[in-house]
Amino acid sequence: MGHRKLSAVIAILVSAPLLAQSPSPDDWAQPRTPWGDPDLQGIWRYEATIPLERPDHLGGREFLTDEEVAEIERVEEELAANRLAGLDGTEVGKRTVEESPIRGNEYNSFWQDHGRARQVFSQTSLIVDPPNGKLPYTEDAREAADRSVARYGVGPFESYLDPDTGERCLTDGATIMMWQGPNGGHNRIVQSPGYVTIVHEEYHDRRIIPVDGQPPRGVPQWLGDSVGRWEGETLVVETTNFLDKTNYEWANIWSRASDALRLVERFERVDSDTMRYTMTIEDPKTFTRPWTAVIPIFRLSDDTHIFEYACHEGNYALSNMLSAGRADAEKQ
Amino acid sequence: MRSYLVIVFAGIGQLLAAAPVAAHHAFAAEFDAEQPVRLEGTVARMEWISPHSWLHLDVPKPDGTVERWMVEGGPPNALFRRGITQESLPVGTEVVIEGFRARDGSMRANGRDITLTDGSRPFVGPFGSGAPGDGPTR
Amino acid sequence: MGLRGTVCAALVVLGTHTTVLWGQSTDYVASRAADGQPDLNGIWQALNTANYDLQGHPARPAMALMPTPRSGEPPGTGRATPGALPAPAVRALGAVGGVPAGQGVVTGDEIPYQPWAAAQKQENAEHWLERDPEIKCFLPGVPRATYMPYPFQIFQGTDKILIAYEFAGASRTIHMDEVGSSPSPTWMGWSRGRWEGETLVVDVTGFNGQTWFDRAGNFHSDALHVVERYTPISPNHLMYEATIEDPNVFTEAWEIRMPLYRRLESDKQLLEYECVEFVEQLMYGDLGVIDPETGQRNE
Repeated sequence: MGHRKLSAVIAILVSAPLLAQSPSPDDWAQPRTPWGDPDLQGIWRYEATIPLERPDHLGGREFLTDEEVAEIERVEEELAANRLAGLDGTEVGKRTVEESPIRGNEYNSFWQDHGRARQVFSQTSLIVDPPNGKLPYTEDAREAADRSVARYGVGPFESYLDPDTGERCLTDGATIMMWQGPNGGHNRIVQSPGYVTIVHEEYHDRRIIPVDGQPPRGVPQWLGDSVGRWEGETLVVETTNFLDKTNYEWANIWSRASDALRLVERFERVDSDTMRYTMTIEDPKTFTRPWTAVIPIFRLSDDTHIFEYACHEGNYALSNMLSAGRADAEKQ
Repeated sequence: MRSYLVIVFAGIGQLLAAAPVAAHHAFAAEFDAEQPVRLEGTVARMEWISPHSWLHLDVPKPDGTVERWMVEGGPPNALFRRGITQESLPVGTEVVIEGFRARDGSMRANGRDITLTDGSRPFVGPFGSGAPGDGPTR
Repeated sequence: MGLRGTVCAALVVLGTHTTVLWGQSTDYVASRAADGQPDLNGIWQALNTANYDLQGHPARPAMALMPTPRSGEPPGTGRATPGALPAPAVRALGAVGGVPAGQGVVTGDEIPYQPWAAAQKQENAEHWLERDPEIKCFLPGVPRATYMPYPFQIFQGTDKILIAYEFAGASRTIHMDEVGSSPSPTWMGWSRGRWEGETLVVDVTGFNGQTWFDRAGNFHSDALHVVERYTPISPNHLMYEATIEDPNVFTEAWEIRMPLYRRLESDKQLLEYECVEFVEQLMYGDLGVIDPETGQRNE
């Protein structure tokens, strides 16, 4: 599947976000469940190279040049080939611990080998609105985001409150679920009459979305309270009633559970293996205005499994971090 | 390929930004970059769990005693999807671990580089049919 | 064979041919799901005390009791001695922390432990507070997830049936299509399902041996093999049966049975019970430099 064809599809969608129906390049027909709803079932994962926010050095450009795309493709293929061959260390540009003590490629690349290269698109950001491709943080949220980045891996880690919600094996939030990566980012969609249910591998997060027309039930939850409806062949989901967990550390401030958060998602299967996933986030406690991202998500073969992710049960890392914190404190 | 890739990576690193960092702890919070270790031993037990697998290693010392180390690895689910199972690293396998010791000085380390005694890396190569998205053969 | 044995034998004979349940008709044919199979979609819940103890038991003051003094004299010839007392760690819960009486769900009410395992079970019960994985919000395993005091929801999809449990956000995928085996042991096991007439039969293997069957310390090893049967017996009831085998722990297979009740509220919804957050202070509070409860340094 050539990246250019997909990027053309996505580009059209980006420029005309109000289109209810996308062009279907291959005369592909949306399959239906036995009771007639569009069938989105399967294992879905985000496997592209597009960052959430537009990198500063691109000077605001919405699309990469063909040369830039070709270069990224070449590097991705090379990285995949190196993983396949078991090459590690300096052969693949690993940063030394001195260069990057926080993200210095802590493990062999075979742990990250998904058997294929990531897909390359010409979009420079997943965020399409605001047009500058940047998260419209409030001042306080910007401060929180900068702090979150600065303290990642640095700490201090003096109690179980210091690691972020993911490190505590709670969740990374609802807004990141459909496209989280690089590990544990698989989602299984199961449909039954009146429900679309999404099981996310990481933290075994789970969202049950009624599509029976009932209003939200009103009990607040970490992953909110979802109601879905079909607009043509697009699943539109509105999620409100999030618990407020903004007092905790979050790896990504933009994905934190806030009681002011309202998440609107559109799931549109544009061909047999691709879904256009659009999310609009509104949270006046975190953002000055709503923002929207358009994300291509890919369907994997039917024999792909979601495996158990018993994060809390095996969270040696958390107690180790606290033990390390005590040891460091004693040295002082 | 080598040096070119290093240069290229540094230059367009930003363009390669992946999906947001999964909220896994950073190496530095648990392990000490100033305490590199090299462990040669046999697998006593392998916990294939997420987000980090843990390899329990019996390391014989020169004085004849055996130390039991716990070595942190990566998440196993991508390996499972490539056809690797718990049989792929059975108890008794001889491995070499290079990594860094736990900050609290205990017998724990991160398995920065795991190799078999012949120098090859475990879990490398296509399993299943090798086709993209292909699951395990079993 | 006494009366009880005769009745049991009669029930066994009947049970092998039909699902006899206290006068309930066994001719019930459930409405059909879209694929023509029985429709088990819905929110269900067990209504019994199996999660406290799979076997019949009287009420008692608390799960965790403390040893109490005995006089050693013939009753009444000395002063009164205490009955069972709640352990200090749970005493403040009062009647909220009590254990209700319950009838057993084990066929024959005996769990056929090997002698070493019977002693292990006793020890587990005596160390419930430290050892029950439920307390730490660990995944409950199968069959315990079924009869925890929370609802669960069945979703019949294409080739996969998903069961979502409230406790700890646990889920299981029941593979109705051909799949291989689990690559490594897990808390919730690896489930393969098939239809036998009106019954969903689920074969579960690949357990890691770390779950308990209940709060009474009933346990198993990683050789556990569970075969579940879900049979609709009315529009709003399933009969749930699970056969349990573990050659490392038991001398033979044994079985539990219980009805499952459909939740009928018109706006019913499975909710979160994300208890990891609830147990962090318990598990990690005194491990770090600072105790979040007080904000002070741990010592």
